[in-house]
Parts: sequence; structure tokens; C-alpha cells
Amino acid sequence: MQKDRLGVTRWLAATSVLLSATALPGAIALPVQAQDAANACASGYTEAPQLEAMVDAGSLPAVAERLPLEPLVIQPAEEIGVYGGQFIDSWGGGNVADMRQFGYEPLVRWSVDGSEVVPGIAKSWDISEDARSYTFHLREGMKWSDGHPFTADDIIFWWDRVENNPKVMTGGPRAELKNNGAVPTVTKVDDYTVTFAYEQPNGLFLQNMAGPYGQRVVQFPKHYMEQFDIDLNPDGVAEMMAAAGATDYAAWWKGNVGSYGDAAQFNNPERPSVHAWIGTDSLLGKERVTFVRNPYYFAVDPSCQQLPYIDERVWTVAADPEVTLLQAIQGQITMSPRNISTPQNRAVFFDSQQAGDYHLVPATSCDYNTAVLGFSVNHPDPIKAQVFGSKDFRIGVSHAINRQEIIDTIYLGQGEPFQPAPLPNSPFYNETLAKEFTEFDLAKAAEHLDKIIPLGADGVRVGPDGKPFKFSVEINADFKPDTVDAFQLIERTWKQAGLDVTINYHSDELFGNARAKPDADAAVWVGENGCGQLPLLNLGRFMNDYGYWSLGNWSGWAAWDIKRLNPGAELPEGWSPIEPPANVQRLYELRSTIPTTVGEEQAALMAEFTGLLAEEFLTIGIANPAGYYRSVKNDLHNVPAELIEGWLYPGPAPANFATFFLKP
Amino acid sequence: MGSFMLRRIIYVIPALIAVSLISFLVIAIPPGDFITRTAELRAAQGDIMPLAEQEAMRRAYGLDLPIMVQYWNWISGVVTRGDFGYSFSFNLPVKDVIWPRLGLTILLSVASLLFIWVIAIPIGIYSAVRRYSAGDYLATFLGFLGLAIPNFLLALAVMYIAFAWFGMNVGGLFSPEYLEAPWSWGRVLDLLNHLWLPMIVLGTAGTASVIRVIRANLMDELHKPYVTAARAKGKGEFALLMKYPVRHALNPFVSGQNDIFVDIVSGGTIVAIVMGLQTTGPLLLDALRTQDMYMAASFILMLSVLVVIGTLLSDVLLAWLDPRIRYQQG
Repeated sequence: MQKDRLGVTRWLAATSVLLSATALPGAIALPVQAQDAANACASGYTEAPQLEAMVDAGSLPAVAERLPLEPLVIQPAEEIGVYGGQFIDSWGGGNVADMRQFGYEPLVRWSVDGSEVVPGIAKSWDISEDARSYTFHLREGMKWSDGHPFTADDIIFWWDRVENNPKVMTGGPRAELKNNGAVPTVTKVDDYTVTFAYEQPNGLFLQNMAGPYGQRVVQFPKHYMEQFDIDLNPDGVAEMMAAAGATDYAAWWKGNVGSYGDAAQFNNPERPSVHAWIGTDSLLGKERVTFVRNPYYFAVDPSCQQLPYIDERVWTVAADPEVTLLQAIQGQITMSPRNISTPQNRAVFFDSQQAGDYHLVPATSCDYNTAVLGFSVNHPDPIKAQVFGSKDFRIGVSHAINRQEIIDTIYLGQGEPFQPAPLPNSPFYNETLAKEFTEFDLAKAAEHLDKIIPLGADGVRVGPDGKPFKFSVEINADFKPDTVDAFQLIERTWKQAGLDVTINYHSDELFGNARAKPDADAAVWVGENGCGQLPLLNLGRFMNDYGYWSLGNWSGWAAWDIKRLNPGAELPEGWSPIEPPANVQRLYELRSTIPTTVGEEQAALMAEFTGLLAEEFLTIGIANPAGYYRSVKNDLHNVPAELIEGWLYPGPAPANFATFFLKP
Repeated sequence: MGSFMLRRIIYVIPALIAVSLISFLVIAIPPGDFITRTAELRAAQGDIMPLAEQEAMRRAYGLDLPIMVQYWNWISGVVTRGDFGYSFSFNLPVKDVIWPRLGLTILLSVASLLFIWVIAIPIGIYSAVRRYSAGDYLATFLGFLGLAIPNFLLALAVMYIAFAWFGMNVGGLFSPEYLEAPWSWGRVLDLLNHLWLPMIVLGTAGTASVIRVIRANLMDELHKPYVTAARAKGKGEFALLMKYPVRHALNPFVSGQNDIFVDIVSGGTIVAIVMGLQTTGPLLLDALRTQDMYMAASFILMLSVLVVIGTLLSDVLLAWLDPRIRYQQG
């Protein structure tokens, strides 16, 4: 499993093989095409005219000194570009760092089509035969945006002084960096080599490093960050905190330094970064922010021009999505943001294409379901726990949903009936799991419902205690308005099946509390990360148990699992273990063992996992999402023919924004 | 008069304490806090925030302390240092967030007030004097229409028209290039170019009610004997109208403007959100939605203090105008 490649090109097929199922299931994908950049650019590199002027004026070192010895070579989607222009985005204020719109520069990254992990800041890596140790080779001569060398010391600094420093509140290393609960040993081999060593094999490490939290690894330039460390610079930190009127170090750190996910992370324009564009001013509370080209960005195009092509990234605040929509169809936004690029807005976008001088690029969603419904299997009321825990109840409820009607009227005919399951483009696709109990059939629904909540004398379904059985469903009306429309239709067909249901629609602010109430009956949320290899990184979601987060009350089973893994563990307040059925116990076991396996073994366990999910039918879905897109200005080039939306694949950021260019 | 005012001012102090306590509790008591809200917003992006991280943040921000301790920390800062606390979501002191927007807010509010007065008062006078004429019916019809159409709907319609027919750059008070630019002549012109749209939207509803108030009051005055007497003495019709009945008719209108301070600061929140204006209204709404506690509480406190001060001023003014009030309550 050894691979060592120099100057690997991010390869992009003209017709994107979307998160290809041809990738070896579960295996660690490796780069498919290599090119020796050092040789290709023997005659030297070229740079943007602005930077050239600065070099001539003596205020900036020459381009060859700014680039690493072996820069990353990025193959543009269409053609070699030209320098210049502004890329204009809309933004809701606050955290511009939502990496999906800004930038994506982890150690290793998803290929544009999401089928594999390819080099980023790391030029190559070695994986030990047993998948216990991962060694990354950094690029010699690579610089932070202030010109300071980027070395292994920066990664060690992040590991020791940030990720493992309880004083800055990360609560220990994030789960993505652990393997079955254990943290790795991170060591510097030499200035350009770092090793992550785990006790057990880690089959998901590269994919996790390519995800959103991999970004943290390369966010902390040691030479700059030391001044904010209370142990390394106690007097200086005390002074800065006093100036800000802060009393708590952790809060001050989070507000002024911050790591991935914090609003502060790009707020300080002085903070060196590895991104293609860097800040010129603080951005919190601003109406418009501009990022300019990083003169030290470490990537070039195949004709040896330093990237990025576009001079500036600009964000303008629009608090209201309707304003953003209006600006987008006026052609004021280079690429429409995700929140307005919905199937519901497609007609509006389509009509203004000429006036706004843009076109629509399809954006495939990595969501595995438009809406996932989870019932409280650990409901404090034993009657409800019994009913919700019954597979017959869930089957009955599922058959009483007219999915085709919902797709036709609400999703504009896009997508097909689907349960919460890996998508067809994933190597882990299981047709039974995806399609079971999806047909609308009130007779079948009644047959199953009668087994657990039979019809009483007056035509009302009664629970096992003989009393009328009713339940409610909690929905966030702001997050995805289509869910509201869908459940209005579902409520109607459920009533036809004799179910006494109340649907509660909450505003965004109140939904969190409604969902987390111990005696909530059921809740609805979108299903995320279902394409390609992502289900591997997302096993908890398929089991409706994602740490403390679930739809409906699953705390009993979750507590059982916490105790299984660590009998001495402390449980969150109000949780007590409930032993799940044998199949679910096995699912929990698989959830912890799958990440520690690789290759064939991993694929076999994943097959067992999806098979058990199909047998247990824990949660109910509606349809797989389709019909998403982005509006892209006609003068913007090198946008892939197909974009991908997602979270663990943080689409569309991996689409190589640095190669986008504007052609008048 | 002096003792009356003193007593009034003393009454204000317990009112302010109660107001500050209530405005804090209104934010702090409902279930959930800024951290749960952050976690939910992250979940909407796909990111599940670990419980341990939430607890750590809560400790760091002092949100795990008893509510009264949090209140005391906040209010003692406000009173002793003029420190309104920290806005979690902006990572800035609250005053640094609010002040820069206050100027534009006041400008917009004053502009729409002037717009209302300049348009509504002459129309009100006209429709009272020429009542039941075609012009009166037209003004009444348009006025009621303005009153009946919700502001935000009008805002959307006006924005659409500005976009579709005039190709204007809608949303906000500035063109993109002037947003964070320093003040210049160009920026002022750009602001004026954008200001009229929200001004008309905010002004339309206000115009209708002012027309109705002026019309009704003036109609009462027009048939009073002093008008007839003045007319009998040969005073010109227009000068007569302006000098006596209009001045009388304006009285109730002026005393009806007591909530002017609050309107100036927080007026037109919904319109500001729909039109993407950089005023204080959307800031308050955001602070409430994200449970950005100190920001929201400080905002509510500020508005409440303005109401209290406005009431005090109107009390004093009334007492000064009318001795009966001064002596009865004094």
C-alpha cells in the first residue's frame, strides 16, 4: 500500500464520474495520475501582473522563491486561464469560513468528483501495511501567506498546543481524528515529514482528513500563533485579554483565534494562512469584505502559472435570502449560494438567465434523503416506547406515505422514493434498504399497523393498553420549507390510515428544544452524507445516533453503547442505558469496528451493516434529493460540468476555485 | 414645578431597574442559550457539535452561572463602566456593533418622518377643506391602500419594480463598492440614491394615518365660531386656514408623536430585513434569534430607556402646558 508521488495533478474527467462506484469499496483511494511538475516547469513560473509589479519593486520575493520546490499542479476543468477579476459572493454575515463557499486546503483532499482522496498540502503519503500509521510528506519550500516556511513544526504545534490543549476548549481531539476512541501519536520525522500512528488499524483516516475538520491541521502557523498561547506568552496574552476586556482565556481564544468552525478563524487579516485568497480586514460585523490573492499560494496550473487566477473574492452581506435571490438573478453574484439554489427557485433562475447573464450548472446533492423521520424508541412512556420500537408500526407508517405524490408536487418531479440509505452512486448501496416499504399502499399499512395499534370500536387506533393512540411529529419549518409541504400531504394519508397524528411546525429557534425533549415522539431532519464513500464516515447518522444528537429519544440505546465501549464513562444528564435488540447491538458493534478495518474486510462489514439496517428499518425517508444546481455567471470559466453539494465532501469547495477565471 | 419634576425623575429609577431586569430575563429564561443555538445552526450546515465542546463553551462564556449572577455581572458593567457586554456572534463589544448602525438608522427614520409630514399634512388639510370632493376621495382611497398593504409586501413589490423596470441595484443602502468605503461625496450621493426606496415604503403607511388624523381634527375645527368670526372680519381664506384651525388641528397630532424615539431607533425592522438595510432593526432581530444574550438585552434596555425618557419628557411638557396636571399630581 505504498505510494509516493511527486507533484500529483488533481485529475478531472471531462464528464465527471460522480463519486464513482468503481472506486474500490472502502479501500483507501490513491491518486490516479502523476506529473513531475519540477521538470515541467524547468523554465520557471509566471505570476499575476500585480505580484510581478511588487517583485519588480522589490517588495516581494520572486515567484520561484515563493512557491514550494514541487508545487501542486492543478488541471483546470476546461482551459488555462488568465489573471484578473473579482468573484462576488453573498453571505449572511458572521462566519464566512463556511469552507464550502470559501476555500478548501487540507493536507489531503477529495478529488473534484469525490471518488478518491488526492494530495493537497501534503505532496504524498505512505500508509503502513496494517493501516496503523500514516506518514505525510509536506512540500519543501512551501510558505505561509506571510512568507514564513510551512513545516512539520506547524502541524506538531496544532496537535500539542491546540487540539490537545484543554485550555482552548476543544474538549480533547475531535472524534474525526480518533480511531475507535483512541488518539494517535503524532510525530515529526523531519522538517517535511509527519507521522500519525494509531494503536488499531484506521481505515478512515484519509477520508476524515479530507473532510471539514482536516482543515484544522494546517490552520496554525506556529511562528504567529505562539503569541496567543497563554503558556508560551503569559504576559502578552494577559495584556491582549485586558485590552479586550476578557476574563476567560478559552472564550477569548475562541473569539479571537479560533479553529475550523469558529467565526473568528478568518477574522484576523494578520493571521497567515495557506488559502488561495487572504483577508484584508476583519470581517465580523462588516457589510462587505474583500480577500486578495495569496502571493505564496502553493499551486500552479499545467503551464506553470501560479494560481489563483482571480484577483479578489468579495462577500457582500444580504441578511434576507430573498434579497440574495434578487441579486443572483440580476447577475450580481458570481455563483449563487446554496441556500437559494433550490429546486423551488429553479424556475425563477431559469427565466432570468439571459438578463442576469448566467447559466445553471447541475449540483448533485450528497444528501441521502430529503427528510428522515425518526421515532423515539426510548420514549419515557412505556406504551409509546413499545409502539415506536415496533418494526410493524414503522412499516405501517411508511406504507401510508404517498411518496410519488410528494415528489410530483413538492420536488417538481425530481428524485425517487427512497429510504435513509447510501445513494445508488455509493459502493455501499443496498437496494433493499433504499427501496423497502416505499410504495403507497393503505391496505398494507393497515395490515402492519393492526398488529401493534389495532382499530378500536369507534374507528380509532388503540395502543397495547387499549387507550386511543396518538403521537406528534416535530418539524423545523425554517430549515427546509419543503418538509412542511411534504408533511402536510403525509398528515392527510396518515389520517386515511387511521393514525391520530399532530404535526408541530417550529421556527428554527425553537426546533432544537422540541427535538431534544425526552418525551418528543418523533422528529424530522435531512439525511446527509450518503454519496460515494461518505456513508463510511457517517455510520451514526444511519443509525439515528450521532453522539448526543438523534431524531426522537434514542438516549437509552446511545447510553447502552457508551457503557459498552467504556463501562466507567459518565452519561449525560437524564440518560440511562436500555439494552437494544440483538440486531441493533450488532449495528453498534459494527459502527465501532468498521473504521478500524480496511479493504475487503471493511466492505464485507459494510454489507452486513446495511443488511442489518434493512432488516431493522430504524428510520423512515421520503425521497433522494435531486434537481439542485448553482447559477454561474457566463464569464466564469473552469467550473466543472457538474458540482457536488455536501458536508463531509464540502461541496462545491473541492471544485478548485483557484482555477476559476473570468473571461470578458 | 421643580418638585413635580424631581418626583417624576425619582419615579423613573425603579422603572429603569425593573425594565433592565425584565429585558435580561426575557432573553435568559426561555430554554436554550447561545450555545444550543450555535449547535443547531451548525447542525443545519451538517456539522454536529460534540456535547463536550458545548459544555466547554458554556463555561467559557459564563452561561452556566445562575441567571441572577449573569444579570448582576451585566448590569453592573452597564452602570459602572458603560460596558454593555460582549456580542457572542460578532465577537465585539455590543456598543461597537450598535453605534455604527445607529447613524444610518436615525437618518432613515428622520427622512421617512419628514417624508410623511411633507406629504401627509398638506393632503390632510386639502381633504378636510375640500371634503367629499373627487380629490378627497382619491387621497382617502390611496391613504387607506397604503394603510392596508403590509410594509414588507410593499417593499418586495417596490424592489421588484425597481429591479425589473429600472434595473436598479436593490437591497441595502449602498452600492457594493461603497459599502465599507470611507465617507466621500460619492458615498453620500450613493446613499441618497438608495435611501428614497425604503423611505417611500416606510412612509406610505404613516402617511395614511397622518392624513386621517389631520383631516378629522381639522374638520372639527373648521365649523367653530372663531373661524366664522375671522372670516366675517374679512381675513383671506388661506391665511385664515393656516393661522387658526390648522394650528389647532396639529395639537393632537403633535402629542401623538410620543413614541418617536423608539420609532427612530427600531422602526421598520421588517422592511429593513426585506430590503437588506444596514439599520439597527435587523440587528435586534438577529440577536434575539441567535440568543446573543447581552446584545439583545442591551438593545431592549436601550429601547425601554428611550420609552421611559420619552414618557418623562411628555409628562413634563404636559405639566408645563397645563397647570391643572401640575397641581393635581404634584
